[in-house]
Amino acid sequence: MLSLFKVVTALFAVNVLALVSAATPQTHEYWYEATWVTVNPDGVKERQAVGWNNTWPLPNIEVNKGDRLIVHLSNGLGNWNTSLHFHGLFQNGTNQMDGPEMITQCPIVPGGSMTYNFTIPDQSGTYWYHSHTLGQFGDGFRGALIVHEDDFPYEYDEEVVLTVAEWYHDDFFTLKKSFLNLYNPTGAEPIPQNLLWNDTRNGTWKVEPGKTYLLRIVNVGAFVSQYLWMEDHEFTVIEVDGVYVEKNVTDMIYITSAQRYSALVTMKNDTSRNYAFMQAFDLDMLDVQPKDLVVNGTNWIVYDEEAELPGAYDVPEWEFLDDFYLQPVTKEEILDEPDYRITVDVIMDNLGNGVNYAFFNNITYASPKVPLLATVMSSGNLSTNAAIYGSNTHAFVLEKDEVVEIVLNNQDTGKHPFHLHGHTFQVIERGPDYGEEPTPVSWNETEEYDAPEFPMRRDVLYVRAQSFFRIRFKANNPGVWFFHCHIEWHLAQGLALALIEDPAGIQEKETLGENWLANCEAAGVKTIGNAAGNSENFLDLTGENVQQKPLPAGFTARGIVALVFSCIAGLLGVVAIAFYGMADISNIEERIARDLDVDLHEEEEAEGYSHEQYSAEVSK
Amino acid sequence: MVDVFNVQIFFVLFRESLEAAIVVSVLLAFLKQGIGSVSDDPVVYNKLRKQVWLGAILGVAVCIIIGGAFIGVFYGLGKDVWGKSEDLYEGIFCIIATVLISLMGIAMLRVNKMQEKWRVKLAKALLEEPKSKKDRFRIGYLTKKYCMFILPFITTLREGLEAVIFVGGVGLGSPATSFPIPVIVGLIAGCGCGALLYLGGSTAGMQIFLVISTCILYLISAGLFSRGVWFFENYRYSKKTGGDAAETGSGPGSYDISNSVWHVNCCNPLIDNGWDVFNSLFGWQNSATYGSVIAYNVYWLCLIVAIGLMLFEEKTGHLPFTKGLRLVELNPMYHIKNKKKNELTKQEQDVLFEQLKKHKIEGTDAADTTVPKRSASIEVSAL
Repeated sequence: MLSLFKVVTALFAVNVLALVSAATPQTHEYWYEATWVTVNPDGVKERQAVGWNNTWPLPNIEVNKGDRLIVHLSNGLGNWNTSLHFHGLFQNGTNQMDGPEMITQCPIVPGGSMTYNFTIPDQSGTYWYHSHTLGQFGDGFRGALIVHEDDFPYEYDEEVVLTVAEWYHDDFFTLKKSFLNLYNPTGAEPIPQNLLWNDTRNGTWKVEPGKTYLLRIVNVGAFVSQYLWMEDHEFTVIEVDGVYVEKNVTDMIYITSAQRYSALVTMKNDTSRNYAFMQAFDLDMLDVQPKDLVVNGTNWIVYDEEAELPGAYDVPEWEFLDDFYLQPVTKEEILDEPDYRITVDVIMDNLGNGVNYAFFNNITYASPKVPLLATVMSSGNLSTNAAIYGSNTHAFVLEKDEVVEIVLNNQDTGKHPFHLHGHTFQVIERGPDYGEEPTPVSWNETEEYDAPEFPMRRDVLYVRAQSFFRIRFKANNPGVWFFHCHIEWHLAQGLALALIEDPAGIQEKETLGENWLANCEAAGVKTIGNAAGNSENFLDLTGENVQQKPLPAGFTARGIVALVFSCIAGLLGVVAIAFYGMADISNIEERIARDLDVDLHEEEEAEGYSHEQYSAEVSK
Repeated sequence: MVDVFNVQIFFVLFRESLEAAIVVSVLLAFLKQGIGSVSDDPVVYNKLRKQVWLGAILGVAVCIIIGGAFIGVFYGLGKDVWGKSEDLYEGIFCIIATVLISLMGIAMLRVNKMQEKWRVKLAKALLEEPKSKKDRFRIGYLTKKYCMFILPFITTLREGLEAVIFVGGVGLGSPATSFPIPVIVGLIAGCGCGALLYLGGSTAGMQIFLVISTCILYLISAGLFSRGVWFFENYRYSKKTGGDAAETGSGPGSYDISNSVWHVNCCNPLIDNGWDVFNSLFGWQNSATYGSVIAYNVYWLCLIVAIGLMLFEEKTGHLPFTKGLRLVELNPMYHIKNKKKNELTKQEQDVLFEQLKKHKIEGTDAADTTVPKRSASIEVSAL
């Protein structure tokens, strides 16, 4: 009896300890400096990339749910600002740690630094972190963030992180110059040189037979979506963007920039051979396909290191998982009819400088002069007036806890992955591909539609060509949240808008930290005022950043002058000809004969004229 | 309606045949009035008339061959040989055409001022072959003798080539049944206008007709010059944008904003029906560049200046501000061909007279006091 009691007590104690240790959140603190590093991940060309502490690629950060994460980021780049966004984290109460420049913080200027300090209380899964300075994460500043949790809903033996991306040989500054250029009027995105698999090419994944691996896949690229498939193996998708879903078995995954997919892959029991793990460009996204572009990437699942590595494993068609049909494990009923519906049309067009920009309706995003979060904090009662946030930031003010629906109509013939900061959203509807239609198809409110009872949720969703999607979320996270296309080229073209969610709540819950304010001071950016930096009159926006003027619609003054001038010139010319034509000229025959080098006199000789008679004739 | 009559094809054919017909009919009318009415030498008239027709028809034939070759390459090899450098070819053709028409136009006006029989003599002299075989192949001689052939040949060749390429290449989007009728109707309409011009010219007051038709020719020529420059600028822009601009029609992105003087999204001569005729006659562009506008004005300016100089010289015998400089001396060919050697300067003439006088004094009374018979005699009487 006594031993049984001891055993029970011991067990009880162990369990209590276990609970305690699981419940005790840890703090992970890192010091990183963003620096330029010479890299050559595709083995073809060396180039400079943005690394951390002189190393590249950046490390995977692993934490547990409930932990605190502190990153001291300093800028050792010398010629570029920097910032840090933890993609997918809600930053509830810590909006100032979210990362996007001029939205929630000032840029970290060279020599400056900023401390990101927040907790991850209610999320777990596969996330990632990257710079939110335009174009920087494509140049290398990105890495995976894994948030573990004890109550993981599925069983697996081992965990593996896989990042996929595209890679350019040129840096962002160089590419941006020729991209946002009047000689690129169609806005053709620069073509990447190669695909990367865990920041290398022809990668290998050593596996053990019979094991079930949890493969956490992150697309850390800035542009193309990729198809992923394995030879003779299947993906059992169990998580997308931090949302656990019911098992969904598929042969092929389509993953856009910034999306994450976690899949269970069960290995064979036979180690006799190795298998290909393929990745491929979504070629629809490339404006042109250079002849020398390697469109597939071949990597390997290695059972036996001695065995040979197979060749590329091609498939006849792109049959991939449609994430719309995923079923979240934690069922959330579809949110009610929205209190606030934001309808935006995605349009690509040229403005007065000839450059191709991207628009939500008729606004292409232009940065405010004061971070939007600072405008919220400094505007008192006016914080609910969307006007103070600028005419070109496309800001929408959301009320606390209201149900917001974003209807996005894509009038472009390309696919776009859209990301919402601060939330996962419910995917209500996504239209089919209308790319072949002569005109884009917008969402039709009057059409009958059967919405899913428990819609899929994630934080990056792509819209199909000339089609639409509808997403819903509840405004229960006070903060300024950026909503934008995650193709960095399109963000550069201004495909973004800002949601000012519950500004009163923000003022209540947030206090701009000393470190945050010091960073703005170092950047020379005001921390009070509206989008134009005006803190006296928040409704006076003179001096704000606005988009370029539109192209002149017809004849400008210059054109009219030119046309009139040309008409007059033509008229005068005609008059001159007429005058000349009617004028009497003496000795014309001689002149012409002389000019044409013809001897008319000889003719006279032949006909027997004398010289005198000839002269007499000529002077008539 | 579209299935049997493709409007675009009609306008293209109408425009091309109109331009060609204008040139040919003006030349023919000029010949008829200038030489044909003088009935004593039909041989020269017929020879020159044959040249015009031969030039026109040969131009059409060659353009069909070349055009057919392009289309064959396009569909056989799948290569758009024409497409990539289309603007460049068009530009070059336009410039060649404008140069030819400009030179011919003034020449025609001047020749028509001569008295009739002198025109005949001139034509005869031009057509006569030089004595030495070597001289027969001199460029100057050939261009003069066959000038009535060259202009219509180049004109019909250029116009026809554009038409064939367009119909064969672009027109393939439409059903085959929509081809024959607009082609025939377009040709008839264009040639009809040309015929009207010819008939009108043959009966109206000659000098007036010639003035009007020369004006039309020069308007077309100015338009061609402007168009040529426009094509070059378009070619440069297409190269810089990698050829994307061509597909965007008339909208933003289809033209270079930094080089634009005016741009309207309609009335594009390359795409919109009817405006191409306006472009043919006046060089209208819906998207004008600095180059095309300046070229148009510079052309007229140069023409007005040239006419002014000619008028001045013909009235006073020399160019303004420069006594002793004549327009013909500005022609480099003049110096190259050493025409001077056929003309005696005053000094040389004095020397010659002295010599002759001496000759006379010294000896015979049958001295011929007339100066040598070569063309120097013309100069002497003009002094």
